[in-house]
Amino acid sequence: MDSVFIGRLKPFLDTIAGQMELYVPKKAGEHYIYSKYDPSSQKSVEFNSIRACSPVKEFLLPVCEVAAVFPRAVEPKEVKLFAVFGLKECDLRSIEILDKVFAEEEFRDQLYMKRREKMLIISTDCTEAGPSCICNLFGGKGFSQSGFDLNVAAIKDGFIVESGSKKGKDFLNGHAELFADVPRALLAERDTNRARIQKQLEQNNAQLCFETPIKQILENNFDSEIFDTEAKGCIECQACTRVCPTCHCFYIYDSKQKDYFAKMKMWDSCMRTAYAAVAGGANPRKVLGDRIKHRLMHKFVYFLERYGIEMCVGCGRCIDAEAGGIDLRDVLKKLNVEFESKNKETKAAK
Amino acid sequence: MNGNLYQPVNGEIIEIIEESPTIKSFVIEPEQNFQFATGQFVELTLPGEGEAPFTPSSSPAETKRIEITIMKAGRMTALLHQCTKGQKVGIRGPYGNGYPVDSFVGKDIYIVGGGVGLAPIRSLLLTLFSRIKDFKSVVCRFGARTPNDFIYKNSLFGPWQKIEGVDIKLTVDKANGDWKSNVGVVTTILTPQDVNISNSAAVVCGPPIMMKFATLKLLEFGFKGEDIYLSMEKNMSCGFGKCGHCMIGKYYVCKDGPVFTYEQLRHYHDIWD
Repeated sequence: MDSVFIGRLKPFLDTIAGQMELYVPKKAGEHYIYSKYDPSSQKSVEFNSIRACSPVKEFLLPVCEVAAVFPRAVEPKEVKLFAVFGLKECDLRSIEILDKVFAEEEFRDQLYMKRREKMLIISTDCTEAGPSCICNLFGGKGFSQSGFDLNVAAIKDGFIVESGSKKGKDFLNGHAELFADVPRALLAERDTNRARIQKQLEQNNAQLCFETPIKQILENNFDSEIFDTEAKGCIECQACTRVCPTCHCFYIYDSKQKDYFAKMKMWDSCMRTAYAAVAGGANPRKVLGDRIKHRLMHKFVYFLERYGIEMCVGCGRCIDAEAGGIDLRDVLKKLNVEFESKNKETKAAK
Repeated sequence: MNGNLYQPVNGEIIEIIEESPTIKSFVIEPEQNFQFATGQFVELTLPGEGEAPFTPSSSPAETKRIEITIMKAGRMTALLHQCTKGQKVGIRGPYGNGYPVDSFVGKDIYIVGGGVGLAPIRSLLLTLFSRIKDFKSVVCRFGARTPNDFIYKNSLFGPWQKIEGVDIKLTVDKANGDWKSNVGVVTTILTPQDVNISNSAAVVCGPPIMMKFATLKLLEFGFKGEDIYLSMEKNMSCGFGKCGHCMIGKYYVCKDGPVFTYEQLRHYHDIWD
């Protein structure tokens, strides 16, 4: 049983919520945020058209957590099974990126792993291409390709649920009473929807499909003034790094309690002035433009060199959150224009 | 360790040595044997206050007591300087790559150091001295602001100079009293004749400005970038390439360093800042 049909979401979600904590998207203004699902509520769950505002890292890397207790070590609290419904393909790829960092064999982060292992991932197909969605530039799609336990696609008269892992398959097999077979025509309808979203993404972002890979554009623009020019608009709110689902910098600080000490781990931002400063005041990235450049280089050059994938999934959250008028799409366009003109000059010189 | 990367090993400061007006060495006894390779660093915790990265200055052969030499430079180091014997501490690590001592075998080892940069160098020297016959020579060129600012004076001014195969020259920015050696920055005592450049490994550790000019000098002498080993000081925090604070380009200094060859870093603009 790989794909099944359900007419309504509620019985499906109620069953999951009966087994574990379930988080679902809830409309907040023009965005979605996650909240705990309450089966007793008669309200149906909102099927988020695009990714939520909250990045999925919130479930795996809490904003602040106890990393260690000493001098007497304490076993970390057990994490209970939990499920998140409504994750999109870009969210799944951001988990893949976080896994590269926190689940790597050498230095596996147990704090991350204990949550990661207990998480049931229920993704859903996008039902539109959001105004800031640029996932297609990074190989993304409006529907899950891998990395999910269950995926739900909305069709006209119901939903198609697909399993993507053993966990997901076991769930489908274990609750056969909830599901019906999927007629072929409905699968075709789902595929048509998917193709329509993909086309929409491609149309929306046509101007961003450069001839040269972004990595190369950035590398060749290391000395560009664009970063300093962009910095003039930046108000250093750090929102871009907070909402980014792949930004994972953290800060370790010590806390003194009545009868023990604790090491705390808290989200940090490379946009902070003193982020890279050392004792004595030396700071390799004192200048804001250099920090903006480093962030983009990390995403599109350094991470790619190290882990083989870009550290951007094109979710567009940074574009939505941007308070200083810096739009990643515009920055990339400007960098590409500069790259092209440099290229022309070099060719002309030859 | 309970498998938790963030868990420190408990330890206690059992001795404090005043090295210079601004530098102290702390002898720490960890609750369990602590192994490290020379050049690797640790995160030293002052419970309830915070932690900071330091490269031990003791020999890696000694696992029951480790020494850490600390210059008063910021908040954490100032707090550490106020500590007295018996202070409980925590140690995480060791982290990163140390000096590739085995690859130094058969070569002249050219060590250029300044100020508190002599701390990692002391650990390296003790390692080299323990097998001194493996190397053609160990040539040290060290600088400090004044004669009194040299650390490890008892070893540096005496016993180390007498070891066969070891050649030490010192310089100060400002002389006083009966100082008979050179006056000037450390690059003024470097000459191309100090070592056989084509069969040497150079090690540079000290304040960033000194490292920059010493490295440029070595390159001018004809050293290849891959033969110059730099011990980089950045804001290492987690120690295992995750938190991001110590990045130089694609490298995490904590995981890929702190010892790098100049060749690895030469393309990055911000290495000396």
